Amino acid sequence: MDYYLNLINTIGIHTLLGLSAYVLLLTGQLSMAQAGFFAVGAYSASVLTVIFGWSILPAIGLAMLITGFLAFLVGFPALRVRGLMLVVATLAFGEFVRLFFHNFRWRVTQDGVEVGPDGTMGFSEIRYFAEHGWTSWEVASLIWIFVIIVMALIWWADQTRSGAVLRAVGEDELAAGTVGIDVTVVKVAAMTAGGVIAGLAGSLYAHQITMLDHHAFTVLLATFAIAYPILGGVSNVFGTLVAVIFIQGLLVEGLRFLGDWRMLLFGALIVVVMNLKPRGLFDSQTLRWIKNVLRLRLSRRLS
Amino acid sequence: MTDFLQNCIDGVMFGSGYALLALGFTLVFGVMKRLNLSFGPSIMLGAYAGTWVYLNFSQNVLLVVLVTVMITVAVGIYVERLCFWAVRRDATIASMVSSFVIWMQLEEVAMHLLPERTYPFPAFFTSTVIDIGPFFVRSEHISMFLLTLVLLALLHLFLFRTRPGLAVRAVSDNPLASRYMGINSSNVLFLAFAVVSVLGGLAGFLILSADSQVTPFFGLWATFKGLIAMMLGGMGSLPGAILGGLLLGVVEANAFWYGGPVVRDISAYLLLFMMLIVRPGGLVGQRIVAQQQAAYERV
Repeated sequence: MDYYLNLINTIGIHTLLGLSAYVLLLTGQLSMAQAGFFAVGAYSASVLTVIFGWSILPAIGLAMLITGFLAFLVGFPALRVRGLMLVVATLAFGEFVRLFFHNFRWRVTQDGVEVGPDGTMGFSEIRYFAEHGWTSWEVASLIWIFVIIVMALIWWADQTRSGAVLRAVGEDELAAGTVGIDVTVVKVAAMTAGGVIAGLAGSLYAHQITMLDHHAFTVLLATFAIAYPILGGVSNVFGTLVAVIFIQGLLVEGLRFLGDWRMLLFGALIVVVMNLKPRGLFDSQTLRWIKNVLRLRLSRRLS
Repeated sequence: MTDFLQNCIDGVMFGSGYALLALGFTLVFGVMKRLNLSFGPSIMLGAYAGTWVYLNFSQNVLLVVLVTVMITVAVGIYVERLCFWAVRRDATIASMVSSFVIWMQLEEVAMHLLPERTYPFPAFFTSTVIDIGPFFVRSEHISMFLLTLVLLALLHLFLFRTRPGLAVRAVSDNPLASRYMGINSSNVLFLAFAVVSVLGGLAGFLILSADSQVTPFFGLWATFKGLIAMMLGGMGSLPGAILGGLLLGVVEANAFWYGGPVVRDISAYLLLFMMLIVRPGGLVGQRIVAQQQAAYERV
């Protein structure tokens, strides 16, 4: 049972990570820095709970603020470049963060035991949930409550004017600028929001996995983060969720019986999907098809 | 001062390897305006194949070079057909993501070929140190530098003196106009990938020979160094790629001397960030950015 719960937790955390890239993708920015923000969130939340003994919710809150502020700072220089240059710049930022945590040492003795991040050895013993007697069900519910809140917020924002503004910038910056949208403000705001969500995902991840290692935050994670919304399509938030379930549930876990060779098939499958649906699984075509099917069902039932 | 100059010499020598990697990225980017993230890993797989031949069959270094380059070209073409030729023209991001996913495939194959972490990599000569006045240079660095110069000359000849080279430049200048002139851009793309893979295979061999070992991390390393060097010089500019590679080499060598391996790695990223803030277009590409800005303001 724990295996499935872990899988569900992973899906939840990766959905948050994917959503953080989704917000940026709405404005047409492709950021490979999400893994870096994820790492910052993970380390800062764990430092708060382990070294300062904070409770989990304030720790997550402050970690989100820290990550958001960092994303805000990164946003300005990174926004001077666009397109693929932004990809490379953010890629470099993510690697920079990983290197920083690779050398980050802050050992504190608590009750005769040394705790805290230990450079290359990673940051182990993040035992907040175990110490406070949380069951794995409660952990899973905490993660998914956050997932539902974030998804609802983004979905709601998409229905309001702010969603339209984000999409307008993503569609055509020049046109958005001519109708009086401050493109820079929108982009930095999206970057900050993405950072906050990635920080949330990271802090949940740290406490669920209890052990942080800089190897978890490589460019692989960054690519996953942007692959989810791209694979799911940016038409709505559920695409990202479906893509996470497709990749983490079906491809990563479902192909485990293939042993070592699963990565080969995994790569091939994603390339096939990218070839057939370059705009994502839920592009406008698929959405129309789904709507038609639903309408047919309904009309048949009515008649 | 002597230390600093010595570092600069080392940096220029090693930076020539970065320049070759950056040229690979720049050429492909120029031709199709898309990013091939699995350039580094395809070199890594080529080098692994070379090492595999070296360990199992023959100690002939020339054969190792040949296998490395040939496998790199084969993998490069595989990546091109799968991630760039098959994916739709306007789906830039889809190409990049799939080229990254292919990366995982390549790493998996390399790990199956040689499952250990580190392997020795052959070099042409045994390493010696040559003294020039107060400075000294390692012989494999000199050979790397000289071979890079030869390769650059050959690349220049190819691009500026041959018809296929003209086609490559035409497509990278204006894809639509070159199609009207009857240039098959798909063939040009294929050609560019093959040329770039040859360059990459040789660059990989030279760098790994200087290091005398190959690890699975080489793919990531090569992609990052190549990308950073390209960005420093300016995206899509050939002289920029060379300048960027040399600059990166010099800065890294000095950072290593004064700060150690961690500072060296961090300095590369800091340099990139500073360049983006000061000159987003890179050393040479500022003109391109300025033109875009002018066009933007005119509208």
